[in-house]
Amino acid sequence: MSSPVQIWRQHKKLHNYLNKVGKLVVWTKIYAPPAGFEHQAPYLVGIVEFEDKSRMPLQIVDCEEEDLKSNQKVVTVIRRIGKTKVEDVIEYGVKVKLI
Amino acid sequence: MKIAVAGTGLTKFGEAWDKSLEDLALEASQEALNEARVTSNELDAIFVGNMLYGKVSGQDHLGSLISSLLNFKGASFRVEGACASGGLAIHLSLQSLIAGTYKNILVVGVEKMTDVSAPEISSYLMGAGSEGERLAGLTFPGLYALMAQAHMKKFKTSREDLAQVAVKNHYHASLNSKAQFQSIISVEQVLSSTSISSPFTLFDASPITDGAAAVVLSSVIPAKAGIHTNNVFITGSGVATDDIDLSSRDSLVELKATKQACQIALKQAGVEISDINIAEVHDCFTIAEILAMEDLGFCPKGMGGKFISQKNTYLEGKLPVNTSGGLKACGHPVGATGVKQIVEITHQLRGSAGKRQVKNLKVGLTQNVGGTGATVVVHILQT
Repeated sequence: MSSPVQIWRQHKKLHNYLNKVGKLVVWTKIYAPPAGFEHQAPYLVGIVEFEDKSRMPLQIVDCEEEDLKSNQKVVTVIRRIGKTKVEDVIEYGVKVKLI
Repeated sequence: MKIAVAGTGLTKFGEAWDKSLEDLALEASQEALNEARVTSNELDAIFVGNMLYGKVSGQDHLGSLISSLLNFKGASFRVEGACASGGLAIHLSLQSLIAGTYKNILVVGVEKMTDVSAPEISSYLMGAGSEGERLAGLTFPGLYALMAQAHMKKFKTSREDLAQVAVKNHYHASLNSKAQFQSIISVEQVLSSTSISSPFTLFDASPITDGAAAVVLSSVIPAKAGIHTNNVFITGSGVATDDIDLSSRDSLVELKATKQACQIALKQAGVEISDINIAEVHDCFTIAEILAMEDLGFCPKGMGGKFISQKNTYLEGKLPVNTSGGLKACGHPVGATGVKQIVEITHQLRGSAGKRQVKNLKVGLTQNVGGTGATVVVHILQT
Protein backbone atom coordinates (compact mmCIF):
# COMPACT_ATOMS: atom_id res chain seq x y z
CA MET A 1 0.00 0.00 0.00
CA SER A 2 1.35 3.44 0.90
CA SER A 3 4.88 4.08 2.14
CA PRO A 4 5.52 5.08 5.80
CA VAL A 5 5.99 8.74 4.83
CA GLN A 6 2.78 8.74 2.77
CA ILE A 7 0.87 7.14 5.64
CA TRP A 8 2.29 9.68 8.13
CA ARG A 9 1.24 12.56 5.85
CA GLN A 10 -2.26 11.10 5.44
CA HIS A 11 -2.69 10.54 9.18
CA LYS A 12 -2.04 14.24 9.87
CA LYS A 13 -5.31 15.03 8.07
CA LEU A 14 -7.48 12.40 9.78
CA HIS A 15 -8.65 14.62 12.64
CA ASN A 16 -10.61 16.75 10.10
CA TYR A 17 -12.89 13.79 9.46
CA LEU A 18 -13.73 12.71 13.01
CA ASN A 19 -17.39 12.28 13.91
CA LYS A 20 -18.80 13.83 10.75
CA VAL A 21 -22.45 13.02 10.06
CA GLY A 22 -23.62 12.51 6.50
CA LYS A 23 -26.06 10.61 4.30
CA LEU A 24 -25.57 7.78 1.83
CA VAL A 25 -26.06 8.89 -1.79
CA VAL A 26 -25.22 5.63 -3.64
CA TRP A 27 -23.42 2.41 -2.75
CA THR A 28 -22.17 -0.86 -4.20
CA LYS A 29 -20.98 -4.21 -2.84
CA ILE A 30 -17.58 -5.10 -4.25
CA TYR A 31 -16.98 -8.84 -4.73
CA ALA A 32 -13.76 -8.63 -6.77
CA PRO A 33 -11.17 -6.82 -4.64
CA PRO A 34 -7.97 -5.15 -5.78
CA ALA A 35 -4.58 -6.12 -4.35
CA GLY A 36 -4.46 -5.30 -0.62
CA PHE A 37 -8.21 -5.67 -0.05
CA GLU A 38 -8.59 -9.43 -0.61
CA HIS A 39 -9.11 -10.16 3.10
CA GLN A 40 -12.11 -7.78 3.28
CA ALA A 41 -14.03 -8.95 0.21
CA PRO A 42 -16.91 -8.61 -0.25
CA TYR A 43 -17.20 -5.11 1.15
CA LEU A 44 -19.51 -2.11 0.83
CA VAL A 45 -18.42 1.28 -0.54
CA GLY A 46 -20.51 4.34 -1.18
CA ILE A 47 -20.55 8.05 -1.78
CA VAL A 48 -21.43 9.98 1.39
CA GLU A 49 -22.69 13.57 1.40
CA PHE A 50 -21.87 15.56 4.54
CA GLU A 51 -23.86 18.39 6.09
CA ASP A 52 -21.70 20.97 4.27
CA LYS A 53 -22.69 19.28 0.94
CA SER A 54 -19.16 17.98 0.33
CA ARG A 55 -18.99 14.34 -0.82
CA MET A 56 -16.48 11.53 -0.27
CA PRO A 57 -16.11 7.94 -1.42
CA LEU A 58 -15.99 5.80 1.76
CA GLN A 59 -16.23 2.19 2.86
CA ILE A 60 -19.36 1.35 4.87
CA VAL A 61 -18.61 -0.93 7.80
CA ASP A 62 -20.42 -3.05 10.41
CA CYS A 63 -23.51 -3.70 8.29
CA GLU A 64 -24.93 -5.73 5.40
CA GLU A 65 -26.06 -4.52 1.95
CA GLU A 66 -29.71 -5.19 2.98
CA ASP A 67 -29.44 -2.63 5.80
CA LEU A 68 -28.72 0.22 3.40
CA LYS A 69 -31.21 2.69 2.02
CA SER A 70 -30.94 5.96 0.15
CA ASN A 71 -30.15 8.95 2.39
CA GLN A 72 -29.34 6.56 5.24
CA LYS A 73 -27.62 8.53 8.02
CA VAL A 74 -23.99 7.62 8.60
CA VAL A 75 -21.12 8.83 10.76
CA THR A 76 -17.37 8.69 10.10
CA VAL A 77 -15.11 6.28 11.98
CA ILE A 78 -11.36 5.68 11.85
CA ARG A 79 -10.45 2.16 10.76
CA ARG A 80 -7.53 0.27 9.24
CA ILE A 81 -7.02 0.60 5.50
CA GLY A 82 -5.86 -2.50 3.64
CA LYS A 83 -3.72 -5.28 5.05
CA THR A 84 -0.52 -4.60 6.97
CA LYS A 85 2.58 -6.78 7.33
CA VAL A 86 3.81 -7.25 10.90
CA GLU A 87 6.80 -4.93 10.47
CA ASP A 88 4.93 -2.21 8.51
CA VAL A 89 3.32 1.03 9.68
CA ILE A 90 -0.43 0.45 10.16
CA GLU A 91 -2.42 2.64 7.78
CA TYR A 92 -5.61 4.17 9.16
CA GLY A 93 -8.29 6.03 7.28
CA VAL A 94 -11.86 7.21 7.29
CA LYS A 95 -14.84 4.89 6.82
CA VAL A 96 -18.50 5.25 7.81
CA LYS A 97 -20.96 3.24 9.90
CA LEU A 98 -24.74 3.50 10.07
CA ILE A 99 -26.33 5.65 12.73
CA MET B 1 -9.08 20.47 -40.06
CA LYS B 2 -8.60 17.68 -42.57
CA ILE B 3 -5.92 15.15 -41.64
CA ALA B 4 -5.73 11.89 -43.58
CA VAL B 5 -5.73 8.52 -41.88
CA ALA B 6 -3.19 7.16 -44.34
CA GLY B 7 -2.63 3.75 -42.76
CA THR B 8 -4.08 1.51 -40.04
CA GLY B 9 -2.80 -1.46 -38.07
CA LEU B 10 -4.39 -3.67 -35.42
CA THR B 11 -3.27 -6.79 -33.58
CA LYS B 12 -5.69 -9.45 -32.40
CA PHE B 13 -6.98 -8.35 -29.00
CA GLY B 14 -6.95 -10.90 -26.21
CA GLU B 15 -4.61 -12.81 -23.91
CA ALA B 16 -1.37 -12.75 -25.89
CA TRP B 17 0.83 -14.87 -23.62
CA ASP B 18 3.59 -15.26 -26.17
CA LYS B 19 3.72 -11.60 -27.22
CA SER B 20 5.46 -8.81 -25.36
CA LEU B 21 4.36 -5.16 -25.49
CA GLU B 22 7.15 -4.59 -28.00
CA ASP B 23 5.88 -7.43 -30.23
CA LEU B 24 2.33 -6.01 -30.18
CA ALA B 25 3.41 -2.42 -30.86
CA LEU B 26 5.73 -3.48 -33.69
CA GLU B 27 3.06 -5.64 -35.35
CA ALA B 28 0.45 -2.87 -35.38
CA SER B 29 2.99 -0.22 -36.41
CA GLN B 30 4.36 -2.19 -39.35
CA GLU B 31 0.84 -2.92 -40.61
CA ALA B 32 0.01 0.81 -40.49
CA LEU B 33 3.26 1.84 -42.18
CA ASN B 34 2.77 -0.79 -44.92
CA GLU B 35 -0.81 0.33 -45.57
CA ALA B 36 0.26 3.98 -45.75
CA ARG B 37 3.23 3.01 -47.95
CA VAL B 38 5.47 4.99 -45.63
CA THR B 39 8.77 3.80 -44.16
CA SER B 40 9.78 4.76 -40.62
CA ASN B 41 12.42 7.08 -42.17
CA GLU B 42 9.64 9.11 -43.73
CA LEU B 43 7.94 9.70 -40.38
CA ASP B 44 8.43 12.97 -38.50
CA ALA B 45 7.13 11.83 -35.14
CA ILE B 46 5.87 8.84 -33.15
CA PHE B 47 3.27 9.26 -30.39
CA VAL B 48 2.66 6.31 -28.06
CA GLY B 49 -0.52 5.98 -25.98
CA ASN B 50 -0.10 3.74 -22.93
CA MET B 51 -1.36 3.83 -19.34
CA LEU B 52 0.38 1.35 -17.11
CA TYR B 53 3.24 -0.55 -18.73
CA GLY B 54 5.71 1.03 -16.30
CA LYS B 55 3.90 -0.51 -13.33
CA VAL B 56 3.53 -3.93 -14.98
CA SER B 57 7.10 -4.25 -16.23
CA GLY B 58 9.38 -1.51 -14.92
CA GLN B 59 9.77 -0.15 -18.49
CA ASP B 60 8.97 3.53 -19.02
CA HIS B 61 10.17 5.85 -21.82
CA LEU B 62 7.94 4.20 -24.39
CA GLY B 63 8.40 6.93 -27.02
CA SER B 64 12.03 5.99 -27.23
CA LEU B 65 11.37 2.24 -26.89
CA ILE B 66 8.92 2.07 -29.81
CA SER B 67 11.18 4.33 -31.89
CA SER B 68 14.10 1.98 -31.24
CA LEU B 69 12.05 -0.95 -32.55
CA LEU B 70 11.41 0.95 -35.78
CA ASN B 71 14.90 2.40 -36.06
CA PHE B 72 13.31 5.88 -35.91
CA LYS B 73 15.37 8.86 -34.79
CA GLY B 74 12.89 11.75 -35.02
CA ALA B 75 10.59 13.14 -32.32
CA SER B 76 8.89 10.62 -30.02
CA PHE B 77 6.46 10.96 -27.13
CA ARG B 78 4.48 8.85 -24.69
CA VAL B 79 1.06 10.24 -23.82
CA GLU B 80 -0.94 9.18 -20.77
CA GLY B 81 -4.51 9.95 -19.74
CA ALA B 82 -5.61 6.63 -18.22
CA CYS B 83 -7.98 4.85 -20.64
CA ALA B 84 -8.02 7.97 -22.84
CA SER B 85 -4.27 7.71 -23.54
CA GLY B 86 -4.88 6.55 -27.14
CA GLY B 87 -7.37 9.30 -27.93
CA LEU B 88 -5.09 11.93 -26.39
CA ALA B 89 -2.14 10.65 -28.46
CA ILE B 90 -4.27 11.14 -31.60
CA HIS B 91 -5.37 14.63 -30.46
CA LEU B 92 -1.83 15.82 -29.76
CA SER B 93 -0.57 14.42 -33.08
CA LEU B 94 -3.29 16.37 -34.88
CA GLN B 95 -2.22 19.62 -33.22
CA SER B 96 1.35 19.28 -34.48
CA LEU B 97 0.13 18.30 -37.97
CA ILE B 98 -2.18 21.33 -38.14
CA ALA B 99 0.64 23.57 -36.93
CA GLY B 100 2.84 22.23 -39.70
CA THR B 101 5.53 21.07 -37.29
CA TYR B 102 5.24 17.50 -38.56
CA LYS B 103 3.74 16.01 -41.75
CA ASN B 104 3.63 12.24 -41.14
CA ILE B 105 3.03 10.82 -37.68
CA LEU B 106 2.72 7.24 -36.43
CA VAL B 107 0.36 6.97 -33.45
CA VAL B 108 0.50 3.66 -31.57
CA GLY B 109 -1.76 2.74 -28.69
CA VAL B 110 -0.60 -0.35 -26.84
CA GLU B 111 -1.22 -2.12 -23.54
CA LYS B 112 0.09 -5.37 -22.04
CA MET B 113 -2.12 -6.30 -19.09
CA THR B 114 -2.10 -10.10 -18.69
CA ASP B 115 1.41 -10.51 -17.26
CA VAL B 116 0.17 -9.81 -13.72
CA SER B 117 -2.74 -11.16 -11.63
CA ALA B 118 -6.29 -9.75 -11.75
CA PRO B 119 -6.13 -8.12 -8.29
CA GLU B 120 -2.82 -6.48 -9.23
CA ILE B 121 -4.08 -5.11 -12.56
CA SER B 122 -7.27 -3.97 -10.80
CA SER B 123 -5.09 -2.07 -8.35
CA TYR B 124 -3.02 -0.47 -11.14
CA LEU B 125 -6.17 0.57 -13.04
CA MET B 126 -7.33 2.41 -9.90
CA GLY B 127 -4.55 4.87 -10.71
CA ALA B 128 -7.08 6.40 -13.11
CA GLY B 129 -9.13 7.56 -10.13
CA SER B 130 -8.36 9.61 -7.02
CA GLU B 131 -6.43 8.71 -3.87
CA GLY B 132 -9.64 8.89 -1.84
CA GLU B 133 -11.22 6.32 -4.16
CA ARG B 134 -8.17 4.02 -3.80
CA LEU B 135 -8.24 4.27 0.01
CA ALA B 136 -11.93 3.35 -0.03
CA GLY B 137 -11.11 0.23 -2.09
CA LEU B 138 -13.22 1.58 -4.98
CA THR B 139 -12.23 -0.43 -8.02
CA PHE B 140 -13.25 0.69 -11.49
CA PRO B 141 -16.15 -1.75 -11.60
CA GLY B 142 -17.16 -0.23 -8.25
CA LEU B 143 -16.98 3.36 -9.50
CA TYR B 144 -19.07 2.66 -12.60
CA ALA B 145 -21.44 0.52 -10.50
CA LEU B 146 -22.12 3.64 -8.41
CA MET B 147 -23.03 5.54 -11.59
CA ALA B 148 -25.26 2.64 -12.66
CA GLN B 149 -27.00 2.64 -9.26
CA ALA B 150 -27.67 6.37 -9.57
CA HIS B 151 -28.92 6.04 -13.18
CA MET B 152 -31.22 3.12 -12.30
CA LYS B 153 -32.67 5.04 -9.35
CA LYS B 154 -33.20 8.32 -11.22
CA PHE B 155 -34.33 7.09 -14.63
CA LYS B 156 -35.63 3.56 -13.92
CA THR B 157 -32.95 2.11 -16.20
CA SER B 158 -33.24 -1.64 -15.68
CA ARG B 159 -30.75 -4.47 -15.15
CA GLU B 160 -31.88 -5.78 -18.54
CA ASP B 161 -31.13 -2.42 -20.21
CA LEU B 162 -27.53 -2.70 -18.99
CA ALA B 163 -27.30 -6.29 -20.23
CA GLN B 164 -28.51 -5.29 -23.72
CA VAL B 165 -25.29 -3.31 -24.22
CA ALA B 166 -23.16 -6.39 -23.64
CA VAL B 167 -25.42 -8.58 -25.80
CA LYS B 168 -25.23 -6.12 -28.74
CA ASN B 169 -21.48 -5.70 -28.53
CA HIS B 170 -20.86 -9.45 -28.41
CA TYR B 171 -23.04 -9.85 -31.51
CA HIS B 172 -20.94 -7.23 -33.35
CA ALA B 173 -17.70 -8.81 -32.17
CA SER B 174 -18.80 -12.19 -33.56
CA LEU B 175 -18.20 -10.53 -36.96
CA ASN B 176 -14.75 -9.19 -36.01
CA SER B 177 -11.86 -11.62 -36.27
CA LYS B 178 -9.63 -9.29 -34.21
CA ALA B 179 -12.03 -9.23 -31.22
CA GLN B 180 -11.15 -10.89 -27.89
CA PHE B 181 -14.60 -12.47 -27.50
CA GLN B 182 -16.44 -13.61 -30.62
CA SER B 183 -19.26 -15.45 -28.84
CA ILE B 184 -22.92 -14.46 -28.97
CA ILE B 185 -24.40 -14.06 -25.47
CA SER B 186 -27.92 -13.62 -24.07
CA VAL B 187 -29.43 -11.26 -21.50
CA GLU B 188 -29.95 -14.30 -19.23
CA GLN B 189 -26.25 -15.14 -19.40
CA VAL B 190 -25.34 -11.59 -18.41
CA LEU B 191 -27.77 -11.57 -15.47
CA SER B 192 -26.73 -14.97 -14.16
CA SER B 193 -22.94 -14.53 -14.30
CA THR B 194 -20.72 -13.83 -11.25
CA SER B 195 -21.38 -10.63 -9.32
CA ILE B 196 -18.41 -8.27 -9.36
CA SER B 197 -19.83 -5.04 -7.91
CA SER B 198 -23.58 -4.64 -7.43
CA PRO B 199 -25.49 -4.33 -9.78
CA PHE B 200 -22.76 -5.49 -12.19
CA THR B 201 -21.94 -9.03 -13.11
CA LEU B 202 -18.82 -10.15 -14.95
CA PHE B 203 -20.53 -9.54 -18.30
CA ASP B 204 -21.12 -5.86 -17.53
CA ALA B 205 -17.37 -5.28 -17.53
CA SER B 206 -14.84 -5.04 -20.34
CA PRO B 207 -12.06 -7.63 -19.99
CA ILE B 208 -8.33 -7.48 -19.27
CA THR B 209 -6.71 -7.41 -22.70
CA ASP B 210 -3.37 -7.25 -24.50
CA GLY B 211 -3.30 -5.46 -27.85
CA ALA B 212 -2.06 -2.64 -30.04
CA ALA B 213 -3.59 -0.31 -32.62
CA ALA B 214 -1.74 2.08 -34.89
CA VAL B 215 -2.48 4.77 -37.47
CA VAL B 216 -0.35 6.88 -39.76
CA LEU B 217 -1.74 10.42 -39.82
CA SER B 218 -0.68 12.70 -42.68
CA SER B 219 -1.25 16.37 -43.40
CA VAL B 220 -0.09 15.99 -46.98
CA ILE B 221 -2.70 14.21 -49.12
CA PRO B 222 -0.92 10.87 -49.44
CA ALA B 223 0.37 10.79 -53.01
CA LYS B 224 1.05 7.08 -52.73
CA ALA B 225 -2.31 6.12 -51.16
CA GLY B 226 -3.72 4.60 -54.30
CA ILE B 227 -4.94 1.45 -52.58
CA HIS B 228 -8.05 3.05 -51.05
CA THR B 229 -11.07 4.22 -53.01
CA ASN B 230 -11.99 6.71 -50.30
CA ASN B 231 -9.54 8.63 -48.22
CA VAL B 232 -10.75 9.08 -44.66
CA PHE B 233 -9.99 12.26 -42.77
CA ILE B 234 -10.15 13.33 -39.14
CA THR B 235 -12.00 16.65 -39.22
CA GLY B 236 -12.70 17.33 -35.55
CA SER B 237 -10.93 16.62 -32.25
CA GLY B 238 -12.12 17.74 -28.83
CA VAL B 239 -10.76 17.14 -25.33
CA ALA B 240 -12.39 18.08 -22.02
CA THR B 241 -11.63 17.36 -18.37
CA ASP B 242 -13.76 16.95 -15.24
CA ASP B 243 -12.92 16.27 -11.57
CA ILE B 244 -10.78 13.19 -11.14
CA ASP B 245 -12.91 12.28 -8.11
CA LEU B 246 -16.35 10.92 -9.00
CA SER B 247 -17.74 12.30 -5.71
CA SER B 248 -16.76 15.85 -6.67
CA ARG B 249 -18.74 15.87 -9.91
CA ASP B 250 -21.94 17.86 -10.30
CA SER B 251 -23.81 14.73 -11.34
CA LEU B 252 -23.37 10.99 -11.06
CA VAL B 253 -25.53 10.36 -14.14
CA GLU B 254 -23.72 12.35 -16.80
CA LEU B 255 -20.18 12.90 -18.06
CA LYS B 256 -19.95 16.65 -18.60
CA ALA B 257 -16.60 16.21 -20.28
CA THR B 258 -18.26 14.05 -22.98
CA LYS B 259 -20.68 16.88 -23.79
CA GLN B 260 -17.91 19.47 -23.92
CA ALA B 261 -15.44 17.42 -25.96
CA CYS B 262 -18.24 16.49 -28.38
CA GLN B 263 -19.25 20.12 -28.90
CA ILE B 264 -15.66 21.13 -29.65
CA ALA B 265 -15.18 18.29 -32.16
CA LEU B 266 -18.53 18.83 -33.93
CA LYS B 267 -17.88 22.56 -34.26
CA GLN B 268 -14.40 21.97 -35.67
CA ALA B 269 -15.76 19.48 -38.20
CA GLY B 270 -18.69 21.70 -39.09
CA VAL B 271 -21.29 18.97 -38.49
CA GLU B 272 -24.20 18.37 -36.11
CA ILE B 273 -24.73 15.29 -33.94
CA SER B 274 -27.61 14.34 -36.26
CA ASP B 275 -25.09 14.03 -39.13
CA ILE B 276 -23.28 11.16 -37.39
CA ASN B 277 -23.96 7.81 -39.11
CA ILE B 278 -21.77 5.54 -36.95
CA ALA B 279 -19.92 5.70 -33.63
CA GLU B 280 -17.39 3.89 -31.46
CA VAL B 281 -17.95 4.78 -27.79
CA HIS B 282 -16.22 3.89 -24.54
CA ASP B 283 -18.20 0.99 -23.03
CA CYS B 284 -15.68 0.09 -20.31
CA PHE B 285 -18.83 -0.96 -18.40
CA THR B 286 -22.34 -1.33 -19.80
CA ILE B 287 -23.60 1.85 -18.07
CA ALA B 288 -20.89 3.84 -19.87
CA GLU B 289 -22.45 3.17 -23.28
CA ILE B 290 -25.87 4.25 -21.97
CA LEU B 291 -24.33 7.49 -20.65
CA ALA B 292 -22.47 8.03 -23.94
CA MET B 293 -25.70 7.86 -25.98
CA GLU B 294 -27.17 10.56 -23.74
CA ASP B 295 -24.13 12.80 -23.26
CA LEU B 296 -23.14 12.80 -26.94
CA GLY B 297 -26.70 13.84 -27.76
CA PHE B 298 -27.98 10.76 -29.62
CA CYS B 299 -30.94 10.56 -27.22
CA PRO B 300 -32.31 12.59 -24.28
CA LYS B 301 -30.80 12.28 -20.78
CA GLY B 302 -32.22 9.24 -19.01
CA MET B 303 -33.37 7.54 -22.24
CA GLY B 304 -30.09 5.75 -23.06
CA GLY B 305 -31.29 2.37 -21.78
CA LYS B 306 -34.44 2.44 -23.90
CA PHE B 307 -32.56 3.80 -26.93
CA ILE B 308 -30.23 0.80 -26.90
CA SER B 309 -32.86 -1.81 -25.90
CA GLN B 310 -34.97 -0.75 -28.90
CA LYS B 311 -32.08 -1.95 -31.12
CA ASN B 312 -31.38 1.51 -32.61
CA THR B 313 -27.65 0.99 -32.25
CA TYR B 314 -27.35 -2.49 -33.72
CA LEU B 315 -25.43 -3.05 -36.95
CA GLU B 316 -28.76 -3.08 -38.79
CA GLY B 317 -30.16 -0.11 -36.83
CA LYS B 318 -30.38 3.58 -37.62
CA LEU B 319 -27.16 4.44 -35.74
CA PRO B 320 -24.73 1.51 -35.41
CA VAL B 321 -22.61 1.87 -32.27
CA ASN B 322 -19.50 -0.19 -31.49
CA THR B 323 -19.47 -2.36 -34.60
CA SER B 324 -15.98 -3.48 -33.49
CA GLY B 325 -17.58 -5.10 -30.46
CA GLY B 326 -16.72 -2.11 -28.28
CA LEU B 327 -14.54 -2.43 -25.21
CA LYS B 328 -16.73 -5.20 -23.81
CA ALA B 329 -16.34 -7.76 -26.58
CA CYS B 330 -13.48 -6.54 -28.77
CA GLY B 331 -11.43 -6.01 -25.61
CA HIS B 332 -9.88 -3.07 -23.77
CA PRO B 333 -6.08 -2.87 -23.87
CA VAL B 334 -6.33 0.46 -22.12
CA GLY B 335 -3.82 2.62 -24.04
CA ALA B 336 -4.79 1.06 -27.39
CA THR B 337 -8.56 1.60 -27.28
CA GLY B 338 -8.62 5.25 -28.40
CA VAL B 339 -6.53 4.40 -31.46
CA LYS B 340 -8.53 1.21 -32.18
CA GLN B 341 -11.71 3.30 -32.33
CA ILE B 342 -10.12 5.47 -35.06
CA VAL B 343 -9.09 2.29 -36.95
CA GLU B 344 -12.63 0.85 -36.80
CA ILE B 345 -14.36 4.03 -38.00
CA THR B 346 -11.73 4.42 -40.75
CA HIS B 347 -12.44 0.91 -42.02
CA GLN B 348 -16.19 1.52 -41.89
CA LEU B 349 -15.91 4.81 -43.82
CA ARG B 350 -13.56 3.23 -46.36
CA GLY B 351 -15.88 0.28 -46.93
CA SER B 352 -13.33 -2.29 -45.75
CA ALA B 353 -15.16 -3.52 -42.64
CA GLY B 354 -16.07 -6.89 -44.18
CA LYS B 355 -18.88 -8.80 -42.47
CA ARG B 356 -19.72 -5.87 -40.18
CA GLN B 357 -19.79 -3.23 -42.92
CA VAL B 358 -22.46 -0.53 -42.59
CA LYS B 359 -23.64 1.03 -45.87
CA ASN B 360 -23.88 4.68 -46.94
CA LEU B 361 -21.55 6.14 -44.33
CA LYS B 362 -20.29 9.70 -44.46
CA VAL B 363 -19.54 10.83 -40.90
CA GLY B 364 -18.27 8.83 -37.92
CA LEU B 365 -17.55 9.66 -34.27
CA THR B 366 -15.27 8.18 -31.61
CA GLN B 367 -15.52 8.80 -27.86
CA ASN B 368 -12.63 7.77 -25.59
CA VAL B 369 -12.89 8.21 -21.80
CA GLY B 370 -10.22 8.32 -19.10
CA GLY B 371 -11.12 7.25 -15.58
CA THR B 372 -14.73 7.81 -14.60
CA GLY B 373 -15.02 10.67 -17.10
CA ALA B 374 -12.14 12.80 -15.89
CA THR B 375 -10.80 13.00 -19.46
CA VAL B 376 -12.90 12.63 -22.61
CA VAL B 377 -11.65 12.80 -26.19
CA VAL B 378 -14.06 12.93 -29.14
CA HIS B 379 -13.05 12.66 -32.79
CA ILE B 380 -15.06 13.18 -35.98
CA LEU B 381 -14.06 11.35 -39.17
CA GLN B 382 -15.39 11.93 -42.67
CA THR B 383 -14.85 10.68 -46.19
